[in-house]
Amino acid sequence: MSTLRTEEMTLNMGPQHPSTHGVLRFIVRADGEVMREAIPDVGYLHRSIEKIAEKVGYHGFMPYTDRVDYVCAMFTNQGWGMASEKLANIQVPKRGEYCRAIATEFNRLASHLLSVGTMGMDIGAMTPFTHAIREREMINDLIEELCGARLTFNYMRIGGVAWDLPPGWREKALAYLDHFEPILDEYNALISYNKIYIERLANVGIISADEAVNYNLVGPNLRGSGIKWDIRKDLPYSVYSEFDFDVPVGKGEWGKLGDAMDRYMVRIRELKESVKILRQALKQIPAGPVLAKVPRNFKPPAGECQIRVESARGDMGWYAVSDGTGYPWRVHVRTGSFAAMGIIQKLSQGLMIADLVTLIASLDVIAPEIDR
Amino acid sequence: MGAVAEYFDNIKNTVTTIFEGMAVTASHFMRKPYTVQYPDRIPVRVQDTLPYRYRGILNVDLEICTGCLACERACPIDCIVIACEKDQKTKILTISQFDIDIIKCMYCGLCSEPCPTGAIHHTSEFEGADFSTESMIRRFVTDPIDAYKPKKGPETDERIAPILNRGMRYVNEFAQGGEAWNGGVVDDGAAAPGADDEEEAAAKQ
Ligand code: SF4
Ligand code: SF4
Repeated sequence: MSTLRTEEMTLNMGPQHPSTHGVLRFIVRADGEVMREAIPDVGYLHRSIEKIAEKVGYHGFMPYTDRVDYVCAMFTNQGWGMASEKLANIQVPKRGEYCRAIATEFNRLASHLLSVGTMGMDIGAMTPFTHAIREREMINDLIEELCGARLTFNYMRIGGVAWDLPPGWREKALAYLDHFEPILDEYNALISYNKIYIERLANVGIISADEAVNYNLVGPNLRGSGIKWDIRKDLPYSVYSEFDFDVPVGKGEWGKLGDAMDRYMVRIRELKESVKILRQALKQIPAGPVLAKVPRNFKPPAGECQIRVESARGDMGWYAVSDGTGYPWRVHVRTGSFAAMGIIQKLSQGLMIADLVTLIASLDVIAPEIDR
Repeated sequence: MGAVAEYFDNIKNTVTTIFEGMAVTASHFMRKPYTVQYPDRIPVRVQDTLPYRYRGILNVDLEICTGCLACERACPIDCIVIACEKDQKTKILTISQFDIDIIKCMYCGLCSEPCPTGAIHHTSEFEGADFSTESMIRRFVTDPIDAYKPKKGPETDERIAPILNRGMRYVNEFAQGGEAWNGGVVDDGAAAPGADDEEEAAAKQ
């Protein structure tokens, strides 16, 4: 009797797959259930946002930055605002900086909630997702009151923010934080310490500290591997040097250091830290204007600049070149999701197909941010 | 022995943590639901519950539009088209066209920010679905209308006063409020806002 023929199978996961967090494609070479390799194929969501900047001018580009990363648009707003301010040497008023910090930290809560919620959903736990989304909706309600939109905020302007905090908003925000902290513990009881959940995440997609640095990972993905690097702390921008907060790092409590569970727990702990920052910011916010006087006809002097923002997905870089006209000559965004895609091919070797979803979810990639 | 103990330990752990999670889920039977049954089975229309700053479909109060074109210039995707003619003798500005393409609009709010009177503003309306693209272009001018002339002191016309009050409240909501904008002329030394924008745009092509 001749032996049965075996062969490797090539599968496509995506572009339209419910658990790839957007239009993302992986070419999977699998031997049964074990992957030989998963090659990410990016570019499906490329919208030429960097090129658009060259056509719409400095003020007009602000709403487009919302689309770079729609889950945490405040950070992209801030990145563009900071880049333009650095080009033209504009000083943002103190209250404006605080408004920015408050808005971005609320956005970080919303973004991390979505990440930890979909983490559960991707491995088959539907309930935590609804809990996380419920909390995110409440945050969106607050942000909507602040800037009039739930997702594409366009809240910031070059030189500050477009709207001051509305009357009574501070109290509402503080009341929400009081409500949120117990909910976070409840969420942990619901899923984070669930044995089955831990077993699914622990020891999956282990990234060592060296690897994380070599592959240029940023944000919670980097900190999950035990490296304490947070732009807010190490290269403070805006008013972050005035806040007292910790930078949580992965400790490998449930498996090896740098596994999916570590990255997940870093996000959960960052939620707590963001609440801490928010409480301080809401308490310390000074009076004064929120927007510097910036001409409508904004023409920064010729030059170039690079700024870095710690977005929910890590170190986000904005590079802008001005040639002295009202339109930037070149804009480039460096995003955390794109860096995270680079390591997937390596990590997927030898992983089960079902764990690929866990891996992607734990890296918290957002498809539009990869391609821009 | 160790392996067996671990095995049973794992099972115990799994069962207890599942029960912990179940307790959280069960506690939600006692809480108020957070879901909104849109569009029906809600006590008030969603539109009426939205915050003041909500950026819905744009509306224009032509009665208080000064025809300054600040909104048209501010829009990054040119979805506002305004046509104004100035009578050489009487010096009266007439607005003969004011169209907003709702399909292109991304509700960014950059147009309502520089408006000196708050004529162009976001409403809380968001249900804009329609059958044809043509009907999505909102045409605000039916008959050519004279542009509004800001008066010194408060508005005296009792028909326009409430509209202007509404508009100014909208403008003052913005960080720079009404002060930075002086009838559409900016105090940054440039002749008019974005006067040379067009040239640059042409040079850029
Ligand atoms: S909201 Fe934005 S896109 Fe829409 S008309 Fe105004 S400026 Fe243009
Ligand atoms: S900015 Fe306001 S006043 Fe000026 S043209 Fe537009 S709607 Fe009219």
